[in-house]
Amino acid sequence: MTTTTPRLRARARSPLARYLLRRAGTSVLLLIGVTIVTFTLTNLVPGDPVSAALGEGAAQNPETREAFIKAQGLDQPFFVQYVVYMGNLLRGDLGTSLVTGRAVTADLSSAVPATVEIALAAIIVSLAVSIVLGTLAAYRRGLVADQVVRVVTLVGLSVPTFWLALVSFYLFFLQLRIAPGSGRISASITPPPPVTGMYTIDYLLNGDGVGFVDAAAHLALPVMVLSLVTIGLLTRFIRTSVLEVLASDYVRAARAKGLSGLRVVLDYVLRGASLPILTIVGVAFGALLSGTVLVESVFSWPGLGTYAYNSARNLDLPGIMGVGLVVGVIYLVINFVVDLLYGVLDPRVRLA
Amino acid sequence: MIAPRRLAPIALGTAALFALAGCSGGNSANTDDGPSSGGSLVIDTAFSIETTDPGHTYDPTGNMVAKALYETLVDFEGSDVTTPVPGLASWEQNDDATEFTFTLEDGRTFSDGSEITADDVVFSLQRIQGMVDAKPNFLLAGLTIEKTDDSTVTITSETPILQLPAILANPALGIVNADVVEENGGTTDGSDSAQSFLDGESAGSGPFVLDTLDLTSQVVLTKNPEYTGDEEPAYDRVVIRNVTESATQLINLQGGDTMVAMDLNGDQVEGLDDGFTVDSVPSGQTIFLLLNQSADVAGDLANVDIAEAVRYGLDYDALLELAGAGATQATGVIPTGFEGALGEGVTQDLDRAKAALEASGYDGQTLRLQFPNDYPVGGVEFTPLAERIQSQLAEIGLNVELAPAPFATELDAYVNGTEGFGLWFWGPDYADSANFLPFAPGLKVGLRAGWDAAANPEIADLAASAASATDVDERTADFTAFAEAMQEEGPFVPLIVPGRNIATADSVTGAVYNSVWDVDIAEITPAG
Repeated sequence: MTTTTPRLRARARSPLARYLLRRAGTSVLLLIGVTIVTFTLTNLVPGDPVSAALGEGAAQNPETREAFIKAQGLDQPFFVQYVVYMGNLLRGDLGTSLVTGRAVTADLSSAVPATVEIALAAIIVSLAVSIVLGTLAAYRRGLVADQVVRVVTLVGLSVPTFWLALVSFYLFFLQLRIAPGSGRISASITPPPPVTGMYTIDYLLNGDGVGFVDAAAHLALPVMVLSLVTIGLLTRFIRTSVLEVLASDYVRAARAKGLSGLRVVLDYVLRGASLPILTIVGVAFGALLSGTVLVESVFSWPGLGTYAYNSARNLDLPGIMGVGLVVGVIYLVINFVVDLLYGVLDPRVRLA
Repeated sequence: MIAPRRLAPIALGTAALFALAGCSGGNSANTDDGPSSGGSLVIDTAFSIETTDPGHTYDPTGNMVAKALYETLVDFEGSDVTTPVPGLASWEQNDDATEFTFTLEDGRTFSDGSEITADDVVFSLQRIQGMVDAKPNFLLAGLTIEKTDDSTVTITSETPILQLPAILANPALGIVNADVVEENGGTTDGSDSAQSFLDGESAGSGPFVLDTLDLTSQVVLTKNPEYTGDEEPAYDRVVIRNVTESATQLINLQGGDTMVAMDLNGDQVEGLDDGFTVDSVPSGQTIFLLLNQSADVAGDLANVDIAEAVRYGLDYDALLELAGAGATQATGVIPTGFEGALGEGVTQDLDRAKAALEASGYDGQTLRLQFPNDYPVGGVEFTPLAERIQSQLAEIGLNVELAPAPFATELDAYVNGTEGFGLWFWGPDYADSANFLPFAPGLKVGLRAGWDAAANPEIADLAASAASATDVDERTADFTAFAEAMQEEGPFVPLIVPGRNIATADSVTGAVYNSVWDVDIAEITPAG
């Protein structure tokens, strides 16, 4: 009796719960893998993190060096360092940044929302524009509209982001004067009390209209630059997906029934193309989050990209590992959400 | 099928939304409450700051902020770092230059209104001495700091230390309000935990107090209403923003979003139109070549003849073209503006170079030139500089292979003395020529070049003599002799002293570069 009880319990669990548990288990294993890879790679990097962290003058003082090495645990064997790192990680401690001298979690808690804000806005804008352009191009395949969309997306994909960021900043801020200067807000106003860390949302939550408009205006240009690249990617993909769906029997049948064009697009074509679109949106969003380095740099946006760049440049091992972990978690979460949405959108793949 | 006429409004609507988002805020720099009209000063710089606790700061941006928040016993005026002047205190020294007595100026107060006493000075300096892991700790090594009476402090050293006043002008040695800091974890026994408090609010007597510190984006200062010093800060609020891209700094300055841009390179400042002022001066940094003298590292070429060949084989004017506004040729290991610096640098002499090359035992070997390729110093990029050096040395028959690496990686090889041929830079820790003595044989930089004291006892003696001098004139003569001897027989080839360009909008004045604290923010005032 006693031996069968757990099995019965397991059977009693809903398929969704089992699926979630299984996914959670794989995610934990993947995360451990991420920590092993980032920890090993960052410790294999040649160079002297002590000199890099302490600077010329202080690094020469043997006492200072020794105190620093001990404080950072750099005198311990590699395996011990990893175990200590994992132990700290379980307590939510990612170590102390060698660049800022603050807890990596504190640094990331301000950098991640800044990047999420910019990436979220970019993916929303990109998706809205790409669905319209991609569908239009598919419907007008081979015609002028299709050609125009192809050229626009090609430009978006091939223009270097850094160059585009600088040129658009120069044009819209300096020449046309319709965009604000760099940074997340103007120097004349104060940041909102932190709730989500995303300035636009925090200003709204605080009922600060002036702050919201200022933050939104600062968001517009970097979002526009990031979107252009993503629009190039998404539009081409959506065009192809829509073309495939358009050739399917059920869309022909829907048309034959005499349904209106818009209804066919919304109810049949986009729904049919939604799974591949969802996959590419997930990938694009992950890429946006981890790939904003150059855009953040031009617009002085204190996000994850800037933090990763500074950490790498200064051999800030805890910082580099923190960024690696966060990016890993973000990808895992995105994949998880995408998989769940698959089930919502198409019952055939539910919990497969 | 969807009609194109129905898709058009959707596309139009999306485009309109996009455009609206882009234009909604307009240009904040042009609004009435913009930074240029509300008693605010905005400064753009690429951040190098970890804290606003002066006891832990040792970075250019950190020093600039500490200078605004705290006062030091000794000061410098404008960009002149050769002559220390009284700050919070005036001083006297004994004949041996081993005992300095500092007398505090009357009536000076902290930002909470309390008076600055000798106890505050002793606490501030002993606090740093207690913190062995604090970056400025080494500045006070070997010093005894004691209170004589309520307004007098005595600092003693076992060896002569004529550079002490210059050291004490470092903003890291700013005087803190002892009572306030002690209440918040400050101690002198090494267990100090006041940094987090001092990152939230300041406890000094400087012209400004700390409003907010965000290490990733900006530091905000406000005027100190209790300030009793002789500077007259003109702005109620100062925002120092982290703008890492110099191209962004340039556009922000031209667009009126900022008044001071700290990191423009020579080309960028030369391209500025009317309406902007640029203070271009040589920085305190020296870019130099190192020729290793250790046979383990440099093999047969471990001799100073090879350095002489390189020194006279280079066309310095052509190298200087890469450095832009404000840069000058390095005249020796001591840069101009410092005591003992030589008046003129080396000029190219190909015959002498070839003769030295022959004497060095060079036999067609390839020298690997190692350098950091991601760390421009004063706007000078090392890769094009190394390329030009390579092509110039090819003319005297010396084969050079370039070996670039990221700064953090290459630093290891440089510090550990494993570079055979290196391109590096050196900057002073405080404003005194004693900072350049480490180039001597047996000392820090000399050892990095595999050059121990036995390699050239004469130069080692000159350095020792300059370090222990007790008379200012004798000391200057020692430094000059040291610089000359290094130029004749040393394993280093000083190349360029990069320029430092502080660009400002014409609406402000007074932003003058100082090699210790970059810019004294309190000296920046509205123009006209």
